Amino acid sequence: MNEDRITVSNALRRGDLFTRVSAVLMGAGMLGHRQIVKGALVLLVEVAFWAYMATTGFHSLGMMPSLGTEAQGKVWNEAKQIFEYSTGDNSQQILLAGVITCFAIAGLVVLWVLQLRHSYALQRLIEEGESVPTIKDDVKSLFDGNLHVTLMTLPCLGILVFNVVPLVYMISMAFTTYSKEGEHLILFDWDGLNQFARVLNMNGNIGRQFWHVLAWTVIWAIFATFLNYILGMALAMVINRKDTKAKGFWRFCFVLSVAVPQFVTLMIMNIMLQPSGAVNVLLQNLGLITEPIPFWTNAMLARVTIIVINLWVGIPYTMLQVTGILQNIPAELYEAAKMDGAGPVRIFFKITLPYMLFVTMPYLIASFVGNINNFNVIYLLSGGGPTRVGDTAGQTDLLVTWLYKLTIDQQYYNLGAVIGIMTFVILTVITLVTYRNSSSYKNEEAFM
Amino acid sequence: MDNQMAKNTLSPRRRIVNLLVHALLAVLALIWVLPIVWIVLTSFRAEPGAYTKTFLPQGYTLNNYVKLLTDRNVLNFPKMFRNTLIISIFSCTISTFFVLSVAYSLSRMRFAFRRPYMNLAMILGLFPGFMTMVAQYFILKAMGFTEGSSIRIGLIVVYSACTGLGFQISKGFFDTIPRSIDEAAVMDGATQWQVFTRITLPLSKPIVIYTVMTSFIAPWVDFVFAKVLCRANSDQFTVAIGLWNMLQKEYIYQWYTCFAAGAVLISIPIALLFLYMQRFYVEGMSGAVKG
Amino acid sequence: MATLSLRHVQKIYPMRDEDKEEKKRQKKRRKKGEEEPARKPSQLKITDEGVVAVDDFNLEIADKEFIVFVGPSGCGKSTTLRMIAGLEDITRGEFYIDGKLMNHVEPKDRDIAMVFQNYALYPHMTVRKNLEFPLDLRGMPQDEMDKKVEWAAEILGITPYLDRRPKALSGGQRQRVAIGRAIVRDPQVLLMDEPLSNLDAKLRNQMRAEIIKLRQRLNATFIYVTHDQTEAMTLGDRIVIMKDGDVQQIGTPQQVFDHPANLFVAGFIGMPQMNLFDGELVEKNGVYAVRVGDAEIELSKDKQKNLADHDARPQKVIVGARPEHITLDEKAGSMIEGTVDVSEMMGSSVHLHINVAGKDCIIIAPRLELDTGNLTTGSTIRFTLAPNAVHVFDPSTEKNLECD
Repeated sequence: MNEDRITVSNALRRGDLFTRVSAVLMGAGMLGHRQIVKGALVLLVEVAFWAYMATTGFHSLGMMPSLGTEAQGKVWNEAKQIFEYSTGDNSQQILLAGVITCFAIAGLVVLWVLQLRHSYALQRLIEEGESVPTIKDDVKSLFDGNLHVTLMTLPCLGILVFNVVPLVYMISMAFTTYSKEGEHLILFDWDGLNQFARVLNMNGNIGRQFWHVLAWTVIWAIFATFLNYILGMALAMVINRKDTKAKGFWRFCFVLSVAVPQFVTLMIMNIMLQPSGAVNVLLQNLGLITEPIPFWTNAMLARVTIIVINLWVGIPYTMLQVTGILQNIPAELYEAAKMDGAGPVRIFFKITLPYMLFVTMPYLIASFVGNINNFNVIYLLSGGGPTRVGDTAGQTDLLVTWLYKLTIDQQYYNLGAVIGIMTFVILTVITLVTYRNSSSYKNEEAFM
Repeated sequence: MDNQMAKNTLSPRRRIVNLLVHALLAVLALIWVLPIVWIVLTSFRAEPGAYTKTFLPQGYTLNNYVKLLTDRNVLNFPKMFRNTLIISIFSCTISTFFVLSVAYSLSRMRFAFRRPYMNLAMILGLFPGFMTMVAQYFILKAMGFTEGSSIRIGLIVVYSACTGLGFQISKGFFDTIPRSIDEAAVMDGATQWQVFTRITLPLSKPIVIYTVMTSFIAPWVDFVFAKVLCRANSDQFTVAIGLWNMLQKEYIYQWYTCFAAGAVLISIPIALLFLYMQRFYVEGMSGAVKG
Repeated sequence: MATLSLRHVQKIYPMRDEDKEEKKRQKKRRKKGEEEPARKPSQLKITDEGVVAVDDFNLEIADKEFIVFVGPSGCGKSTTLRMIAGLEDITRGEFYIDGKLMNHVEPKDRDIAMVFQNYALYPHMTVRKNLEFPLDLRGMPQDEMDKKVEWAAEILGITPYLDRRPKALSGGQRQRVAIGRAIVRDPQVLLMDEPLSNLDAKLRNQMRAEIIKLRQRLNATFIYVTHDQTEAMTLGDRIVIMKDGDVQQIGTPQQVFDHPANLFVAGFIGMPQMNLFDGELVEKNGVYAVRVGDAEIELSKDKQKNLADHDARPQKVIVGARPEHITLDEKAGSMIEGTVDVSEMMGSSVHLHINVAGKDCIIIAPRLELDTGNLTTGSTIRFTLAPNAVHVFDPSTEKNLECD
């Protein structure tokens, strides 16, 4: 069996001349096995690759270990009476070029494997006396059996260039000194795990902030997810009650707030809750308070306000999503429970809630992840503030907003990258644990 | 007898409960509608400034709208509107193609890369979106898309390049189309491309509309990426940055009521689109969960 | 012209996780030397390669023949059909149409049409567009398409609905459209995958008759999949009976009814099911007889010959007799005794459910010959089996001792 397989090792051991040559001259196997166009294209890619490597690739790779050494020079030119700048190394560009070169090499390796296997497969076709697909056949199959290649190439390329490469690039920054701290913005160096140590160290300034932010992020995500979920479901159930009149009207009132772009409503809320904003004015005019409530300057109050406003934003969303599912709960379940004499509260906890949790588990996980990464609400409402003097993170900053501040505002790129990686690790753990539990839950149900 | 009673006239207790429920709903509805009403009123407010002594405006005027749509010197809203429109038309076209292509491939085709792709999409989704923002900026800069009017191209790329990761809802919808319909088409002589374009897409109108609309809206409501990419190039600003800027210290007194007007203007079409879409949204939601 | 030939065709699906676990459990049991648990009613073989859905399928189909694949769900009949259609790859073996190897030919190039169980009509097209679709894909000009569509609609009586959407049609009408879409391009081979199972009983009988008529008007070879043995018996020139991926028997309806190859076929074909008794095959001076309880029934001439040809030895056997091949005649000789559990009045006949030594047995008795007064529940009854219609099966191999 193994001997028949189309594998790289078989291709190298059993391949004919063309197949073996294609281990060096990529595409030779196809050229020699009657697939001229494809072979030529592959060969062209290889030539382009080596050309790239020769001109910049090897240089970039060579620069990777040091990330550049030449600082920008500033030399006093006596004759012209000016400073002359010599171009130094730019570590950030060197790192980017290095990462891109690594991806190019990985891409070529994949292509190498594919073309080698393909030429071996072609060789076998010819040996067995079967006809070799022509370029016309290949193009045809791109719209039939291989349609996924046609459809997915561009999206995958987009993801690779604008998501995977940036991500790897950013992750690699976490291991450098790239930061405004110590003026390492142009020339920086590898730094090992130092930044991680800084972030995780509870006694340091950054570490203390990190653990504070992390704790608030988790608390926020739990409140935001579960309060929204429970209250949204409650609202949906109240509207869905048999005796509730004008269901459509109530639903419309709440959906209207979802329909307005979130960033607009959040900015308005921010203004409304300012010391001289509409809410304080209203309350003062009504004589309920004399001094404006410091919604955004008191840390505790800011946190509560954010959670409450997020309820305003999120409850209609949940209601919208849950309504359809609620109506899908088999009526027999309710009828059976009623026959058994269960009251409305028991029915909710014994039937509605378990059913909803079961069906909406993926949604819950997704919204938890979404809340941990919920940039808009924090950034637009409190801006992360209030902030203690000397801190980069405010009292209501989430990991994401802190990440934003660290990279965009402060230009502490290495710290930002570390925070991003930590966020990812936390999310991965949470997601894995919940998925595990939910699948075992499912199995239990299946055994019943 | 008892049954009849219950049907025709509610028992006193249930009546009270009913009354309370409706009262509660009314209060809640007020809380949810009030801010929206307030912003609409503010957009017609005659006196300037973000903060006023009264909750309701003292006088009403249309000038805020006029100023918003005609002032081209300080914050050129019409220009921003045009920028955003151009960007969203292009990115919407590309995104729709990407999302539907990926969703169809994952739902209907079987290939070795399918599982890894879905797992990868899940993993990438766990990284905070802003983590890649800086790096994306550097890459776009290296490509030369960060200066002058090529910022538009940069924004189009940012909004559409990674949309292939957001296939879940569309895939969930495609999954509900019976496989035997595809197979019937294959037996009738259709290629996969013909199945996609002549069977699946016409059958998936709701989700196609949903995809088009969501990707069309995205550039109108994003201000973070746009801000990072545009920096100080005010002639490249999108609507969202413009609105955001109106609330900054230097503009807020002069522009607050115009901000309200702008918010109302872009909210109306988006709200209409959303109200039209919510059916598909709910369907997609319960469909995806069921599958 | 279309002759089909399937040689050693096999379909193996890669293992899913639960299959892998099942295999691990099997290995563990074998290591521990435990007994294999009784196989579930339907269980496919699992090999190292995966789950064997169809194993060693061999069949030669003549031009214009009507072949029916029948068996319980999961037996591999639909998988075989889909391999013929080209919707599934053939793992091993060859499939030819008119002598040409078809394993790697695309479905659209096989000149095969298929009718699906759930109709699979295109919901967004009118009936006319549905029928035109296969023709349009082949680039046929509009006027020719019109003619073809009219022809097919005429045959199936769907002309009045041509401009409706499938949603506006009843189940029976949709099924006609589905058949229409299959025949409109004059395929060499017409595949039908349980086409009637979504219809109610009355409509099903009607459509069955129409399929027989349709067959006479078309020049196609038919392959029809069903789990309903009545459909199989009434429609097929030959029937292929399958179970757990294996072919159990191939033959004309007459053959499989009269000479079931094994216990499974015996039980599957015929309504109500064949009665089975624990018994013994005995031989005295070259004459075979079966013993059930105290009764001993000497077999008919051809049965004697068949058994002798296969060198049958006296042994414990399972004796099978169809309900209609049991007589209540007191004079018929050696009798089996049982008590009546239930008697069902069916009009022209009576179905008697009888308890024979703890086992249930059904007898169909013509009403006229019966003194129904005696057949109340609990009354004792004596009967015998028709000597020319008794089947003997080996209890361990479950094979009919008269067949190979």
